Amino acid sequence: MDILIISKYILIIAFIIMMFAALRASAYKGTSMGLLGSSVVVVAFAVALLVFGQMYNLTFYRDISLALIFFGFVGTVAFSIVAGGDK
Amino acid sequence: MIVEYIQSALLLIAAFLVIVSAVGFLSLPKDMKNVVYARIHIIGIFDIACIIAMIGLGQYLLAVIYLILAPFTAHAIANAFYKSEDVVNNVELNVVEEDEDNPNPFIVNKSKVQELENEDSEKLKTDERFTISTLDINEEE
Repeated sequence: MDILIISKYILIIAFIIMMFAALRASAYKGTSMGLLGSSVVVVAFAVALLVFGQMYNLTFYRDISLALIFFGFVGTVAFSIVAGGDK
Repeated sequence: MIVEYIQSALLLIAAFLVIVSAVGFLSLPKDMKNVVYARIHIIGIFDIACIIAMIGLGQYLLAVIYLILAPFTAHAIANAFYKSEDVVNNVELNVVEEDEDNPNPFIVNKSKVQELENEDSEKLKTDERFTISTLDINEEE
C-alpha cells in the first residue's frame, strides 16, 4: 500500500478522534465551550471531507469544504457577538 | 516520488498534532483557573494542524483562507466568554444589583409616588384611564 494513502487514513482517524473530543467538550458548562466544540467539529469535518474527496475522486468536495469553513466561521463569530452582549 | 513523501510527512505531522490537541482538549481539569482560554489555546494547535493538512493535500487557497479566519474565531469566542461568563477576571460581572427590601409592596414611600406624579411620562399622558393618587396616613390616626 502506498504511504500516501496510509497517511491519509491515519489523518482521517485522527480527525474522527478530534470530532468526538470536540463533541464531548461542547457538552461542558457554558455557552462558550459549546461554541468552541461545534466550531472544531465543523472544521474537522471539512478537512476530513477534503481527504475523502481526494481519495475517492469526488466532485465538488472542495466547494463543500470551503462552504463549511467559511460559513462555520461566520456562524461562530455571529453567535459570539450575540453571546457577548452589547456592552 | 519525493513529493509523495513530503505530502505523506505533512499529513502524518498533521495527524499527530490533531491527536495531541484532542488529548489536551479533554485532559485539562475542569476546575482549573482560566480553563476556557487554555482550551482555546489548544484549538490553535488544531487549527495549525488543519492548515498543514490542507497544504499536504494541495489545497493552498483553502489553507490561506483558514490561516486568516482561524484567529478571528478564537478571539471572538474568547471575547464572548470574557464578556458574558468570566466571573473570575471580569469585574463587571461580579457587581450584583441589590433589591430594596420592601416587606409590603402595597405601601410605598410618599416621596416616590410624588416623583412618579411629577414625571412627564408619555404613558401617563396617552393612557388617561389610570391615575395615581396619594393618601396621607399618619401613624397616630
